[in-house]
Amino acid sequence: MKKYFETAKVLFKAQLVYRFDTITSIIFTISKVFLAYVLWGAIFGKQSVVSGFTFNSMLSYYIISSFINQLDQSSSTGWQISNEIRNGGFSKYIIKPMNIFGYFTAQTAGVSAFLLFFNLTAAVIWIFIFRVDFAITSNGWYIQSASVLILLGLLFMMQLNYFIGILAFKFLDTGIFMMIKDNIVQFIIGSLIPLALLPSGIIKTMTFFPFYYVSYLPTMLLLGRNGNEIFSGIVILLFWNAAFGLLISITYKRLKSRYDGVGI
Amino acid sequence: MNIIHTKNLTKTYIRFEKEEGLRGSIKSLFKREKIVKTAVNNFNLEINEGEFVGLIGPNGAGKTTLMKMLTGIISPSSGTISVLGYVPNELKNAYKKQFSIVMGQKSQLFQDLSAADTFLLLKEIYDIPEDEYRKNLKYFIDLFSIADYLNVQVRTLSLGERMKMELVAALLHNPRILFLDEPTIGLDAVAQKQIRGFLKEVNREKGTTILLTSHYMDDIKSLCKRCIVVNNGCKIYDGNLEMLFDRYQTHKMITVTFDEATSYIHDFNVQIIERNPFKLSFMAYRKDVRHIINCIMTECEIKDISIEEEDIGNVVERIYSDKGGALIEEIF
Repeated sequence: MKKYFETAKVLFKAQLVYRFDTITSIIFTISKVFLAYVLWGAIFGKQSVVSGFTFNSMLSYYIISSFINQLDQSSSTGWQISNEIRNGGFSKYIIKPMNIFGYFTAQTAGVSAFLLFFNLTAAVIWIFIFRVDFAITSNGWYIQSASVLILLGLLFMMQLNYFIGILAFKFLDTGIFMMIKDNIVQFIIGSLIPLALLPSGIIKTMTFFPFYYVSYLPTMLLLGRNGNEIFSGIVILLFWNAAFGLLISITYKRLKSRYDGVGI
Repeated sequence: MNIIHTKNLTKTYIRFEKEEGLRGSIKSLFKREKIVKTAVNNFNLEINEGEFVGLIGPNGAGKTTLMKMLTGIISPSSGTISVLGYVPNELKNAYKKQFSIVMGQKSQLFQDLSAADTFLLLKEIYDIPEDEYRKNLKYFIDLFSIADYLNVQVRTLSLGERMKMELVAALLHNPRILFLDEPTIGLDAVAQKQIRGFLKEVNREKGTTILLTSHYMDDIKSLCKRCIVVNNGCKIYDGNLEMLFDRYQTHKMITVTFDEATSYIHDFNVQIIERNPFKLSFMAYRKDVRHIINCIMTECEIKDISIEEEDIGNVVERIYSDKGGALIEEIF
């Protein structure tokens, strides 16, 4: 376990190397909070409630959900895996006495920990400056459940991106799979079309997919809503994690033999 | 003790061929021409513990493919491999802890961090006990004289410095076998010599078995007693390096300078490299050298004379272009 902790630590350190990058990343988070403040301020105008959300709860929703989404750095890890398979750099992971999925998960966790630490600090400062009455729930059960869902959701996204990454053993270029995944995720979490506009049958179908529970449900829980979906959310995420764990294991065993380690 | 053993090892790759031009690209969407390339063919190999073996051959001969199979990076198409009693392709952690591979053109160091950071990570990945880690690190810092740039960002190191760090990273866990794929590629003569010195020391002091591929024959000549020549995926020579050079270093380069203008002409079977009234350079068969020198010294007033070994590039070219079967028969 210590090797994976050290891996996460190394990646955390790597994020700190370039001071300009670190500062820009913090400013970016700050500007997002600022833009949300301006945007929702304009939408609310003189109204105190929009679609059941007050200005503060809407701003809180935006901050929490964009924060959870930012924690998920697995997509760039997926790209890295497929590029390294394509150019032969993946060999250096194959020959190390470690679990390769564990290594990449730790690597992604290192980057997420960096974002969590610096951006959370920045966000907290700005919430204080804008005097946002942060509408986070005080219900301990909701907070714990949301934390479990976030961890399960991040693990699922890691597995999904790792799976797409290792498809490069067979297809070499996994760009199209990444694009399909991104579109499906955006559709299901409602960033392409608001979920409320879709027929109820489709919305119900989407709740069987894991993406709904990755950021939307934990955010709502942290705002003290949707408590009735906790159990189904955890069960569905556990199921998808188990399914992808199995899928990865089978796929890796079958496709690894196709690896040529070109370029070395 | 025999620690590497392969029998009838074969690796074939499938590649696709596409006709040139746009038309060819469109055509290849519907039908692609499949080409089967045999990179390693019925390769039998035995290496004993503690040996320093050189693997030479032209580009595309199958050297790197062989190394990739020995380390488990790729699977063989047929045949058997056993390294330290393990089947490499099963990729057991117990096996991975006992070998290392350094690829001259690939890095295992984190470019944005210092080498010391990567070493700490490797300590955990290979479960190196604290005492052993400190002892090994100190040993290599002294041996490679790298104390000054251990904490410098890897990206800013020179190629020679980076290669030293790569070697330390590969050796920290005391591997029993070290696979080196062109470790001196791109290095200047001084750095090459240093790296050779370290490798010699590691092989002698730690008893590490080393399998080295290099296009620089100086590496092979100064490090390996045993040499394996590979061409077109087949082994064409496996044995003593000196014997190989005795057989193929057939010429010597002779340069004679004269005090006065001399138009020396003799019917020797030599290849003239340079000729002017004050200087004569030529390549002669080794067996004829004594006779030629005697004749020149008797018949001319010479200022200076030098006899050098033939350029190593010519020797290599001759070895690679020889028919494998003939080579093995003649040597043994």
